[in-house]
Amino acid sequence: MTRFGSGAVLDRRSLLRAGLAAGAGAALAPLAACAGPVGAATPGSLTLGLNRSLVSLDNKLNQFDAALTVQRAVRQALTRIGPDMSATPVLAERFEQTAPTQWRVRLREGARYSDGSPVTVADVATALRMYAQVNGSFVVNLFPELPSVTPLGERDFLLETARPVPILDLLMANILITPAAANRPEELSGGLGSGPYVVSAGNGGTGEYTLERNPRYWGTPPPVRTVRVRFVPEESSRVVAIRGGELDVIDSITPDSAEQLVGLPGVAIERVPGTRINQLFFNFRKPQGHPLADARVRQALSLAIDGPALLNDVLVGSASQAEGVVPLALVGAVRTGTYTHDPAEARARLDALGVRDLTLTIIWESGEFPADASVMEAVVEMLRAVGVGARLQQFEPGGDILRWRQGRGGDWDVLGNGYPGPTGQAITSLLGMYGGTPDKERTRDTYQGYVVPEIADQLAVAAAETDAARRAEVLTAAQRAIWASWPCLWAFVPNVVLARRTRVRGLALQPINSYDLAAVRVEEQP
Amino acid sequence: MSVPVSSSPLPPSPGDSSPARPSAVTPRVLARSRASRQRRATRVKLWLGAGCTLVVVVPILLAGLLPLPGPNEQDLAQRRLPPLSGGHLFGTDQLGRDLLSRVLHGGQVSLAIGVLAVVVSGVIGVLAGAAAGYFGGGVDAVVCRLLEAQLSLPLLMMLLLVVALFGPSVPVITLVIAVAQWPELARLTRSLVLVEREKPYIAAARVLGLRRGVILARHVLPNVARPASLVVLLLVAQAVLLESALSYLGAGPQRPFATWGRIISDGQDYITTSWWLITLPGLVIVLLVVGVNLLGDALREATRRGRKADA
Repeated sequence: MTRFGSGAVLDRRSLLRAGLAAGAGAALAPLAACAGPVGAATPGSLTLGLNRSLVSLDNKLNQFDAALTVQRAVRQALTRIGPDMSATPVLAERFEQTAPTQWRVRLREGARYSDGSPVTVADVATALRMYAQVNGSFVVNLFPELPSVTPLGERDFLLETARPVPILDLLMANILITPAAANRPEELSGGLGSGPYVVSAGNGGTGEYTLERNPRYWGTPPPVRTVRVRFVPEESSRVVAIRGGELDVIDSITPDSAEQLVGLPGVAIERVPGTRINQLFFNFRKPQGHPLADARVRQALSLAIDGPALLNDVLVGSASQAEGVVPLALVGAVRTGTYTHDPAEARARLDALGVRDLTLTIIWESGEFPADASVMEAVVEMLRAVGVGARLQQFEPGGDILRWRQGRGGDWDVLGNGYPGPTGQAITSLLGMYGGTPDKERTRDTYQGYVVPEIADQLAVAAAETDAARRAEVLTAAQRAIWASWPCLWAFVPNVVLARRTRVRGLALQPINSYDLAAVRVEEQP
Repeated sequence: MSVPVSSSPLPPSPGDSSPARPSAVTPRVLARSRASRQRRATRVKLWLGAGCTLVVVVPILLAGLLPLPGPNEQDLAQRRLPPLSGGHLFGTDQLGRDLLSRVLHGGQVSLAIGVLAVVVSGVIGVLAGAAAGYFGGGVDAVVCRLLEAQLSLPLLMMLLLVVALFGPSVPVITLVIAVAQWPELARLTRSLVLVEREKPYIAAARVLGLRRGVILARHVLPNVARPASLVVLLLVAQAVLLESALSYLGAGPQRPFATWGRIISDGQDYITTSWWLITLPGLVIVLLVVGVNLLGDALREATRRGRKADA
């Protein structure tokens, strides 16, 4: 008999379907685990989530704050910046100024690399030579001049400069020492150093590294056996990962993310006032006659920016408006003025200067500072309110921004950029940003084309001045002159914010947005 | 037992006064038959698809006329307001911008890119596929190898590479998506033309002395255009998704242009405190893509049944 319709009959086909569904369910069930938190903490290990890719463990070209924490765990310098912004000896046992242009250094006895070879005077000389050969090096720009090395013995040598460099001990904290035979002018892909950790696995492309405790470390062995470094560019992913215990420390987080993490069990937030300044810096390579070549136009444009609104509503109180050309937390920094918001005055001044139909191109690299995209989009609207158009061009990390900054990629007007205070001294940042000379500009090694010879001269005098009072006086005058040249559309000083799992102890976050990885310990939870 | 007649009874023969012939095929049975269920499902798909699509597309097209703030108009004091508060139906984003306005204006960009890309890919795909199917030989081999070569490349990686090389502007993104989508249409057109070229009317046209190009343009293409155009509709949804994916990955048009992918990408930083920043734009994308797919599916099924009925 033929049966019509499709009643609920248990036929062969339904049985097969049910079987297939059950099989698929069983096969896919393990995938459900992907929905939950993954990668619970491994005992004895620490996992760091960086917001920028650690391309190499060498700081010649890859110098951002959180990277230094990792780089210094593998390679060490003669000194390091201590919590009080003073120089603390590391590979150097003694680092003393013996004359205005001369420092006597003695290498620490027993200091050796992870392959067992000792740290030698030749390694220091080679390291300085290699840093000097890097084109556009951030580190070299910090030095008024690189010192020469004169060996005195197996462990003793002199560092000599043509002019006095009173903060040479602080500056040398940025020169990481590598065995002379393994050193190159290029970024070093290997991880042979004298630090408390050695690299057991690394991938510069993905920015992921595994560090193991250095069994031949010359100092006190670090408490944590394994440190994993991961590049997690998406802030939301980093926040979710630290919540789930997949990451132990995340750095440079936005106030909004900090707000999401505050009060969560197992997560703690660390904040300290920073020494980094974030700027919307004008392009100083504009030809004469261009509106931006006129300091009065730059000042008028800065009146369009509503700093308090950006601080309170976008940066949510996690930063303060710059009141000088470098952060006031730096030794030697002075208050030079404030950014005021007066859109009507801005328009009036632009009209008086004959500036109409101005359109600015604003460029920046993602992750340059927390909430960077929001700040930029807010600035575009603020400029639009005074009749100035703005076009945004955002570069992804690893993109072309270095070529653009050097004026080789394309034309731009304002750069969103952060400048760290790696030595804790104002003079270092001032020289790095405003000490540009025509010679340096020929190789595009100045800071966005800022070349004002009078200011560069003042800074050079201050950098070489051994008398502290006189140095402060010259430095103050230079900072006032810089402020009067209106280099920035707006600038702010962010607090250093870091989130850690509470099992991570001993993490002493410094104003330079770095910490000593060798002092960090991990408490195993029951 | 009286059995109702079927829904399409045979006409009674002349002089036959007896009641309709009894049949076991009742209207109820017919309604539960596979064909009827498919017809009903097609109708439901058609209405549901049209509804979902119109709910998204109509407001997008009218975005400029609706009483909404501009997509880039900021009010920093009103940031991250939840939906239905402060006069904002979808709430506001991290800069106090009206989220609905950004979603609708972002939709204009996404839809414009999607439609333009599909038009370009449609032209490329139909022409290449038709030429391959009709002329065969060397032309077919070249087109097929090109198709296979492109299909073997990872699509999103290829798109990201091209956008990275030429910059993330609307024309570049449109062209890139168009080039990415032509193989699907070319393959379909080729198979349709292969069937069509063997039909008697083509042979007749050849006998009449028409040139091959003329036969293809005047007789073959009009006959394959309809089924091919339905696939184009499905490609629109795919193009919108591709554009959103590119924007999400940072390869979309530059800021402050609102695009769906970027709205979601920006909103994910606030996922635990402001759910609406990614949920609502995501829902709009889902509605559009599901709607367009249902609509395309329904139209394709309706066309197929229509052709069967004609046959």
